[in-house]
Amino acid sequence: MMQNKNIRNFSIIAHIDHGKSTLADRLIEYTGTLSKRQMEDQVLDNMDLERERGITIKAQTVRLDYKGKDGEVYEMNLIDTPGHVDFTYEVSRSLAACEGALLVVDATQGVEAQTLANVYMALEHDLEIIPVINKVDLPSADPDRVRHEIEDSIGLDASDAILASAKTGLGVEEILDAIVERIPEPDGEENAPLQALIFDSYFDSYKGVIAHVRVMQGHIRKGMKLKMMATGKVFEVTDVGCFKPQPVDIGRLDTGEVGFVAGALKDVRDVRVGDTITTAERPAEKPLPGYRGVNPMVYCGLYPVDSSDYDNLKDALEKLQLNDAALVFEPETSVALGFGFRCGFLGLLHMDVIQERIEREYSLKIITTAPTVVYHVFKTNGDMVEVSNPAELPPQTEINHIEEPYVRATVIVPSDYVGAVMEISQEKRGEFKSMDYLDTNRVMITYHIPLNEIIFDYFDRLKSATRGYASLDYELADYKESKLVKLDILLNGDPVDALSTIVHKDRAVTRGRQLAAKLKEIIPQQMFEIPIQAAVGSKIIARENVRAHRKDVLAKCYGGDISRKRKLLEKQKEGKKRMKAVGSVEIPQEAFMAILKIE
Amino acid sequence: MSRWELYIHIPFCRQKCLYCDFASWAGRDDLMSAYVNAVKHDIETRAASLRREDGPAATIYIGGGTPTALPRDLLLTLVQSAIDTAGMPGEFTVEVNPGTADEETLRQLRQCGVNRLSFGVQSFNNRLLRVIGRIHTAEEAEKAIRMAEKSGFSNVSLDLMYGLPGQNLDDLKSSVNRALSLPVTHISIYGLQVEEGTPFYRMYEEGKLALPDDDVTEAMYDYMTEELPRRGFRRYEISNFARPGFESRHNLGYWQDVPYLGVGAAAHSYLDGKRTENRRDPADYIRAVEAGEPVCFSEEESSRDIAMEEFAFLALRTASGIDESRFTTKFGCSIDAVYGDVIAPLVRDGLLRRENGHIALTRYGAKYGNLIFEKFIRSV
Repeated sequence: MMQNKNIRNFSIIAHIDHGKSTLADRLIEYTGTLSKRQMEDQVLDNMDLERERGITIKAQTVRLDYKGKDGEVYEMNLIDTPGHVDFTYEVSRSLAACEGALLVVDATQGVEAQTLANVYMALEHDLEIIPVINKVDLPSADPDRVRHEIEDSIGLDASDAILASAKTGLGVEEILDAIVERIPEPDGEENAPLQALIFDSYFDSYKGVIAHVRVMQGHIRKGMKLKMMATGKVFEVTDVGCFKPQPVDIGRLDTGEVGFVAGALKDVRDVRVGDTITTAERPAEKPLPGYRGVNPMVYCGLYPVDSSDYDNLKDALEKLQLNDAALVFEPETSVALGFGFRCGFLGLLHMDVIQERIEREYSLKIITTAPTVVYHVFKTNGDMVEVSNPAELPPQTEINHIEEPYVRATVIVPSDYVGAVMEISQEKRGEFKSMDYLDTNRVMITYHIPLNEIIFDYFDRLKSATRGYASLDYELADYKESKLVKLDILLNGDPVDALSTIVHKDRAVTRGRQLAAKLKEIIPQQMFEIPIQAAVGSKIIARENVRAHRKDVLAKCYGGDISRKRKLLEKQKEGKKRMKAVGSVEIPQEAFMAILKIE
Repeated sequence: MSRWELYIHIPFCRQKCLYCDFASWAGRDDLMSAYVNAVKHDIETRAASLRREDGPAATIYIGGGTPTALPRDLLLTLVQSAIDTAGMPGEFTVEVNPGTADEETLRQLRQCGVNRLSFGVQSFNNRLLRVIGRIHTAEEAEKAIRMAEKSGFSNVSLDLMYGLPGQNLDDLKSSVNRALSLPVTHISIYGLQVEEGTPFYRMYEEGKLALPDDDVTEAMYDYMTEELPRRGFRRYEISNFARPGFESRHNLGYWQDVPYLGVGAAAHSYLDGKRTENRRDPADYIRAVEAGEPVCFSEEESSRDIAMEEFAFLALRTASGIDESRFTTKFGCSIDAVYGDVIAPLVRDGLLRRENGHIALTRYGAKYGNLIFEKFIRSV
């Protein structure tokens, strides 16, 4: 049995492109966990999407065995954390399973907003942080500046920061030794009742739901009867082991160790990320602290293009939910789109990723409605309702006032771009909070901005106005009263619920005009002239027309050749597969996202 | 006994028109004699049993290509042979190119029993006739049609095209009016379509085909669909207009689920609910007939769903539309059970009208025939 004192659990905190995955690869390689030949590049980002986008979405875990300078063998568990603002909660779960973290900062770039947020979170979890300045081999590296930045912006002593190059392997051994020496061993009583934290899970079609766990106290053995403390689900352990990085069944996990547990767990809802596993016979008195429910920040409707795919979509969402505690969904009906689901996401990237996975991995064609935040609607009768679907906003006469979520947005940019950031933030209804120089050249600006405005192109606009230099992080701050109205779109005189949005009153007319104009571009000509109207309440604020399709050409066709006529019609129909018929109007999928595409 | 029709295809032309992608060839006149023999043989093989079981063909139609590109004797023996085998039909049409029509041929056709002629005129503008590669002038067309009347034909049709390169609305109006001044009982109108594999297609790709813009083309369509009925020609089918009683029964048969036998290269048949297509190349067709090999092959799988779709979208081409009781008789269920969800919104939107047990395109719906027909296709 591994002594606690020889176990080290850590994660890596880094901004996108600062070299986290490459460093993880080097650690795996250096410790001989996998030979160079066995390694695919960047083993840990194993989803296609992750590789394509260069981001980590799922937490991944690997056990490394390392012989330290003292001659002892150390069991190191690396928990790779997601690196995007949407996945803050996943990061928090992973950090809760660790005693330390490597803070990896690019020697040519410096600290980014994202990195800051994660470091603060690690500090909240009392993790020991080892600063690593990466890419020091590059000619433009400026480790001293970065060292100062770490000290100034985070208040962390960076005098013993390790200079490394994940690319060349420089500093890798030093990092491993620092992990041994500086990160504390896990504590926890081997003989106490079992408490294991679920920090991730995935679905395996042979073994069922597999939970990633960190054993905080007690131990897990094959054959034991375990119990989920939140859901009450009891199961027998069929597989228990560690990741190398493929799961290896070793029959046991002891106090302080990180690995996986599987038992006949078929239902994703039984394995809640953040839940505590204990034993059925001698349960722990209470679950582990720190678990907070997941609150989606962004909602949208997902509908199958072909309504007979409803059950398949449900199945896909359930399977995805298995790997993704942050995804929530419930059935929803739209007059325009039929039966579908209202889904909650952590943010726009999360939403994008889920959509793309449904289409790729489950081969389903779906229609997505424009994302929206959760509004608090205070009614005249004193009730408060949460509205995440604009179509469900109560009539104006029943509304006393509406509050919308604001975020505290932190933007870090080179000082030349401060003006641009402020201009965009102002335009997005932001309230200026603070501005601090991280060093002579880099500035951290904080704004309170409605989340709704962030969802609309805020970051895209920031990036283009700052030539890609801006980095953004945000966290929910509070709810504030705003003058909000529902903007409806009428096609052919009928309101299309799936096209409704909630907008600020002062923007309604502009948004309405822009949206109507955009829809005119998107909706193809049909048999009728289609009036597109934007309305607030009963007041029409904008109007456009999609001209009628030109008439058929009367084709000369030898009468007997019916198959030619049929082929023509089939081809015509094929071209419309991605469209949804709403009343008599065929609407292409992009129309429902048009609100995001207006300038 | 049930109604059936016979179609005979003549795949020869003096010159191929620049827009044409039909099964027709210029410069293969050496095949004509063997071809007519093969067609006669094919009629005997396949039409004899139909006549035995179902009686004489209701209609016979010789189309092309250019039937009058055949030497007079060959054409007449073919007509005679068709009547001998399939029986004397109520309507017997021969397509005529004004450039290959002579009075003697027309007179003898009439004597054999042909009672309807269909002239491919396309336009009465000589400039446009040259642009599209026709072999005749407007004056020759007028002369040929008057000749038909003199030869004893009282049922004469002509084809007009719109949307031709360089054509404007006035050109079209003047062609329509010249057509109406002639002794014709039936007019078919067609929009030019640039088909792959034609000289026009290449010119189009090279940007050398000056087609009228969509608005002008639409104006032409509107003019014809309004003017022809005003002048006594009822629009009994999407592309076809006739004086009362002069509707083409053969043409209507295609849309009304009437079985037909097609003989000759590339001709299509619809028999026992199955659609087949003959070998396309005339030499190949001749060889197959001579060798006793099958001349046709199956076009598509026939299923009940496909049959219902075709029944519906073909019938919708006609002014009388889908006969609901015929649908029920044929398929054993009401049309609403299959297409209720398609029909109701189209009726609501004024694209279809439903009355007296028939479902038909409205005047408005006729403009968008294809978009409406498409909704009846479910099997894709």
